[in-house]
Amino acid sequence: MKTESKAKKFFGSKTFTLLLLLAAMVIVFTILSGGLKSIKGSFIDPKNLKQVIAGMSVVSVLTIGAGCLLISGQVDLSAGGIGTLSALLFAHFYSNWGIPLIISLIISLIIAGAIGYFNAILINRLNCQGFITTMATALVCTGLTYVLSASGDGILKNIRIENEAFNYIGTKSVLGGYVPVIVLIALAFFVVYGIIVSQTKFGRSIYLVGGNPTASHLAGINPKRISNILFVNSAVLGGVAGIFYTAKMKQGSYAGIAGNQFAGMTAAILGGISFGGGSGGMVGAFIGLLILNAFQNGVTIIGVPSYWQQVASGLLLIVALSVDFLAMQRKAAGLRRTVRRGQAEKAAAAEGGDK
Amino acid sequence: MTAQKTSKFFRSKSFALIAIIIVMIIAFTLGNKNYISAGNISGFMTNISTAGLLAVGMVCLLISGNVDLAAGTEACMAGIFVATILGSGMPWPVALIITILFGAAMGLFNAFLVNVLGFMGFIATIGMSSVYKGLALVVSNGINVSISNQGFYPLGAYSIQMGKFALPLPFIYTVVLFVIYGLILKYTKFGRSIYLIGGNRNAARLAGVSIKKVSTILYINCGAIAAFCGAVSTAKMNSAGPQAISGTEMDSIAGAVLGGVSFMGGSGGLGGAFIGLFLISAFKNGLTAISLPTYWQTVAQGGILLIALVVDYFGERSRVSALKAEAAQAA
Amino acid sequence: MANSLEFNDVGKMFPGVRALSGVSFKAESGKVLALLGENGAGKSTLLKVLSGDIKPDEGEILIDDVQQSFSSPLESIKAGISVIYQERQLIPGLSVAENIFAGDLPGSSGIVNYKELRDAASEIIQKFGLSIDPDQPVGRLSVAYQQMVEIMKAYRRNSSIIAFDEPTASLAEAEISILFRLINELKAEGKVIIYISHRLGEIFELADNIVVLKDGQLVKTFVCSETTEDDLIHAMVGRDIGDTYANLSRNSVYGDTILEVSGLETEDIHDISFSLKKGEVLGFAGLVGAGRTEVMRAIFGADKILAGTVTFEGKEVHFKSPKNAIDAGIALCPEDRKEQGLVLFRSIRDNITMPVLAKLRKFLFLNKKDEAVLADAAIEKYSIRTPTADKIVFELSGGNQQKVILGRWTSDLFPAKLLILDEPTKGIDVGTKAEVYQMVCDYAKAGMAVIFVSSELTEVINVADRIIVMKDGRITGEVLRAEATEEAVLAMAMAGE
Repeated sequence: MKTESKAKKFFGSKTFTLLLLLAAMVIVFTILSGGLKSIKGSFIDPKNLKQVIAGMSVVSVLTIGAGCLLISGQVDLSAGGIGTLSALLFAHFYSNWGIPLIISLIISLIIAGAIGYFNAILINRLNCQGFITTMATALVCTGLTYVLSASGDGILKNIRIENEAFNYIGTKSVLGGYVPVIVLIALAFFVVYGIIVSQTKFGRSIYLVGGNPTASHLAGINPKRISNILFVNSAVLGGVAGIFYTAKMKQGSYAGIAGNQFAGMTAAILGGISFGGGSGGMVGAFIGLLILNAFQNGVTIIGVPSYWQQVASGLLLIVALSVDFLAMQRKAAGLRRTVRRGQAEKAAAAEGGDK
Repeated sequence: MTAQKTSKFFRSKSFALIAIIIVMIIAFTLGNKNYISAGNISGFMTNISTAGLLAVGMVCLLISGNVDLAAGTEACMAGIFVATILGSGMPWPVALIITILFGAAMGLFNAFLVNVLGFMGFIATIGMSSVYKGLALVVSNGINVSISNQGFYPLGAYSIQMGKFALPLPFIYTVVLFVIYGLILKYTKFGRSIYLIGGNRNAARLAGVSIKKVSTILYINCGAIAAFCGAVSTAKMNSAGPQAISGTEMDSIAGAVLGGVSFMGGSGGLGGAFIGLFLISAFKNGLTAISLPTYWQTVAQGGILLIALVVDYFGERSRVSALKAEAAQAA
Repeated sequence: MANSLEFNDVGKMFPGVRALSGVSFKAESGKVLALLGENGAGKSTLLKVLSGDIKPDEGEILIDDVQQSFSSPLESIKAGISVIYQERQLIPGLSVAENIFAGDLPGSSGIVNYKELRDAASEIIQKFGLSIDPDQPVGRLSVAYQQMVEIMKAYRRNSSIIAFDEPTASLAEAEISILFRLINELKAEGKVIIYISHRLGEIFELADNIVVLKDGQLVKTFVCSETTEDDLIHAMVGRDIGDTYANLSRNSVYGDTILEVSGLETEDIHDISFSLKKGEVLGFAGLVGAGRTEVMRAIFGADKILAGTVTFEGKEVHFKSPKNAIDAGIALCPEDRKEQGLVLFRSIRDNITMPVLAKLRKFLFLNKKDEAVLADAAIEKYSIRTPTADKIVFELSGGNQQKVILGRWTSDLFPAKLLILDEPTKGIDVGTKAEVYQMVCDYAKAGMAVIFVSSELTEVINVADRIIVMKDGRITGEVLRAEATEEAVLAMAMAGE
């Protein structure tokens, strides 16, 4: 009885809707890319699936940061900008100043965290609007990135990184060559954050603060502290994403991952995370990420021209929102059914009583 | 009474902003005495008009508790649209009207996403901006669409000569629209209902105001004005590019918020928004005037926003304490 | 001008609940019809049907025997219906005048005539006998005045049918008497008036006819002059409550002093001193805005203390945040359940375990089994009506929501030493109120110290052992229950007026 209701619960859940969407997408892309005739060169060609997986590393950590903030009812538009700046600083420290790799890494992430804390102070202490504050921070970071990577003649230059181990992590794959090392690291991040969000006091607090900061405060939770941590977290994860990108490219890049925070937000929303913590979690966000990557890869492989791909990725965000909408509709329909059944039973019972 | 009014003004947000603007102008003039030259001022006026035109529709949306982050890309699309239909030999006034209708249709689609499908406006319009960015590339094939229609060009490029000083037409459009919409917001029933739905949706609904109707009109309005902005900008450049204007809506929003329009809706107005926008534009213009390297300009633009936000905080704090003192005196 | 309003066999389903079923009654002009019923009885739903906020599934509304069908609030307003809601529907940034005329500003061809607006608003304010500047932003008014603005909003429409949903919930006596005068005037003008209140005294003062609802159905219709309080309560709860207060089983043994407040001063309160013993129920009476909530917030570490001391369990304490107070064993059930008490879209379980998450830890993680046990215990202890602890709090009735908050602060993992209840019975039906009173006494018996803040005089002087009266942020008097009379307490609450 209980397992049955559990199964039922699963089929009614958003996760299930998302998996359906993912499956549908895989099928459609496979058919459109000629997968029925020959697997080779189609969407489900192992070579291509490898591409899908490889594309996940950078956006995945941004998805985590954006997801946590969305649950708490906030957004950070600066994650990409901060990540680009801190990754460039990392390359600068290591390649230009000769600071040891690990120390360069730590310093650059600390700088990312500090910028995140700066966001947090403006938003939580000075009550600035998060949207516009993080937008301004993103501008400053992007500008500083340009300044740092501009050579004397004003031309922007990337900074190469010559380190075997680091480049190995960025470019090598394990598990039969299917899973790049950085994707594995990204997955580990997902697991850790999944546990934090669903199984710890801190994770629960994120939902509570997102739902009602005043009530949380009066129940002994410090909403500002939670929010501060999440902004720092989002910035540090932005930094990590930037480092991932650096490792992949073997160079600190001035263009970097600026703007990628939107992809992170899209994945989180696709994954069913709602603003203010009504629903969603890291499992959904992960599926959202898979959908996003499968989609971006799929439109390429079925030969959608590159300009149309931009159109498509915008449409995907709209679709993401629709999934939420449709899931709600289904839930409402389910409730209505239950009510009707209850009524029918009641009516039947009443009739029986009359007799 | 007058003294009270004066003291109120000195505590107001506008005053703080105007003070910052004055200090800034003095500083830039010290850096480059051509900053307040006739040429620079008229260049400044041309520049402010793009973000300014977008701001008109945007402020109305913001007050109603909505936002259109696709406004810039809508303008860009409209620019390419008008260039394309002009290329087919259509007379320019007809083309302009059709373009504005095209913008209204884009706005209507946003309204559909928000009001019918119930999406969060700011996320839905981020999605749409990406769609339009892509469509702009598709339609223009990635290259600028140039215009041969001779009648269209002055719409954006003409200036009224007043001695040494040239008053650009786009700036006149901007001022006229600010005045018209300012009056609408303050003096019409429709304008007041915008504040109503932004301030308290439920109260508005129960007072018989149709939230969906008002916000649909505002999205359409924002799209139409964005299209006009795109057309003017295309005329000014005599061509339309797939990258034009995109992102300018952020300047409009930033200016509006600096000028006291709340992102949550229900407060602020076009007057404050104009001052806020003026501050941002004058600052950008000044950075060029003192020939700060371009890369530093990006940093400084973010910096001025952050500084303005902090100044706003301290201004707000002093206003609150002054209000409290007032209340205590009354009691 | 309408002569009658009739509900004919009105029914409404919500997911999981039958909110209304077969409700039929008729209200006539020149009479006040009171709607009575426990929470969840369907009064608010009925009002929403009337205002066009929701559509009934069955039945219809008739005005002067003509069938109406409202698909939006606007149509209901046009049909001459005004509803005054319990929750204030004001826009804080707009002026009083604009709020009063919201959605219907004076002026021609779409242009607002501000002079006419100001004059019309002034006229209404004068009619109410209040001194409010019509140009002032409504957000700067006191809660009671805001409620009056809400009433003015409905009044100025000059509708022929006016419905009041608990209009006196946040009004002080002075404003209540103004309101009653107005209602009587409206009645004399021949309006149809529907009046919802939990306060039986008010109903006997105002109503001509009384309709009692229970579980979405009409129980009985009474003529006010031919009925008694006991009859009504009996009809509402389906059982006799008898004399609620006399039957309370109280605590009589006090322990040591647990709380000692001396010379407490914040921005809103001045020179507050009192003490409280374990096992004692201390009442705080006063008009709305007297500063009682602010005293509680200061003790709880939610507001900044400017001067004075708080001694808890013999030690001087300086709470910097509610968390410090909670760690010391103090609990606060805030005045506004939905805004300050609950995370509405989270489950009952999440809401109950909020303050004790740190104690539910096993290693680094939450122990979900223990959490479920804790939540189920609270559901059982307070007989919260729900199938599971997973239910979203938003879907519960007001009374059950309040029980969730009480459950939060009295669990095995958080046995509060001092429990502060700020208006715990606000918006709760008679039956649950009696339950809450007994709970308060039980807490005291278990050795807890309880502070009971209430604006209902009868309640506070009958439940508390000792009553402190406040006015304008200061303590104006203190009485024991045995000596307290409503007149005496009211005199202290209005001292100097």
